[in-house]
Amino acid sequence: MKVLVAEDDPDIQVILKMVLTRLGKCDVTITFQGDQVVPMAKTHRPGLILLDVMLPEMSGFEICKALKADPETNSIPIIFLTARSMPAEIQEAMKLGALGYLAKPFDPMTLVGQINEILAPLGVSIGA
Amino acid sequence: MENTQLSFEQILNATVRMLRTTWKAKVCLFLQLDDHGDLRVRAADGLSLEKVAALSIKPAEGPFAQCFAKNRIIEADASTPMGILTKLLKPHIKKGQKFALVPVSGETRVLGILFLGPFSDKEKIHPREAELRSAGALCAVLSAHWRLYEWMSSFMPQLNHELRTPLTAVQGSIGMVLGGMFGQVGNDVKEMLEMAQKGCERTVRAIEEYINTQNPPKK
Repeated sequence: MKVLVAEDDPDIQVILKMVLTRLGKCDVTITFQGDQVVPMAKTHRPGLILLDVMLPEMSGFEICKALKADPETNSIPIIFLTARSMPAEIQEAMKLGALGYLAKPFDPMTLVGQINEILAPLGVSIGA
Repeated sequence: MENTQLSFEQILNATVRMLRTTWKAKVCLFLQLDDHGDLRVRAADGLSLEKVAALSIKPAEGPFAQCFAKNRIIEADASTPMGILTKLLKPHIKKGQKFALVPVSGETRVLGILFLGPFSDKEKIHPREAELRSAGALCAVLSAHWRLYEWMSSFMPQLNHELRTPLTAVQGSIGMVLGGMFGQVGNDVKEMLEMAQKGCERTVRAIEEYINTQNPPKK
């Protein structure tokens, strides 16, 4: 599965790339720039977007809103993977149409399983 | 058990309503000095808060300036220029009536103004100064609470983020090594890494306990 990751921390980018490629068997594209996510989603047509909240130029919440408002991208499942994990922030993300919310720090060895649990209602998975 | 927690806005509005009723006034406003040095209406009774909440009043002149500079209760009548409040107050004040501007004093400076009235010109305000000052002191406590609430609302999520982000890199790297992604490690190395991982988990629990569960009053 193609996965688009929006993450601005270079260390976490490395970890996510490694985990999603090796354990998730995903084709991973990463961007650190918030305003690049919507155009990249249209170009790459990912099967999943992992979205941080605090991103340069455009927040994860704004990106989620834009993706859900665009008919070209509104069917792509979005999972927030973020350190912004206050209850109000989780509610906000779900209200905007995210499929799920994973809080940092995460366990890299169980991340694929957690993502698959969230994707289960759609009948898709990664790592197979 | 019934949830009786009031939002901070409700507490403020209930307080100005109580003061307005006690003083048999038509209008009571609590104006707080913001970071830009402007007065903002934080609570109102007798005037729609929706109408006045967006107002920004410069306390540089008129009765507001006197109230601030002298830390004194000022009486303002219908002819007193009160900037953008003048038009809003016009239907509530008749000739010969007056409003009281009570300084909301903190330890070192005036934090805002309690605006109460109108009163008839026969009403003696200054003999009741102690009562009005007490009302101002109550608003000062609320003002401090408001500031703390504002600060917590922005600082706590930021602190949560700033602590969790580096922990993700630390815990993630350790997790991958322990998970065998780079091959097997010796028992000594494994033991040390498990110790580091426990430390990370402990820090995450502390963040969850001290930060994520801090629920300031609802706005």
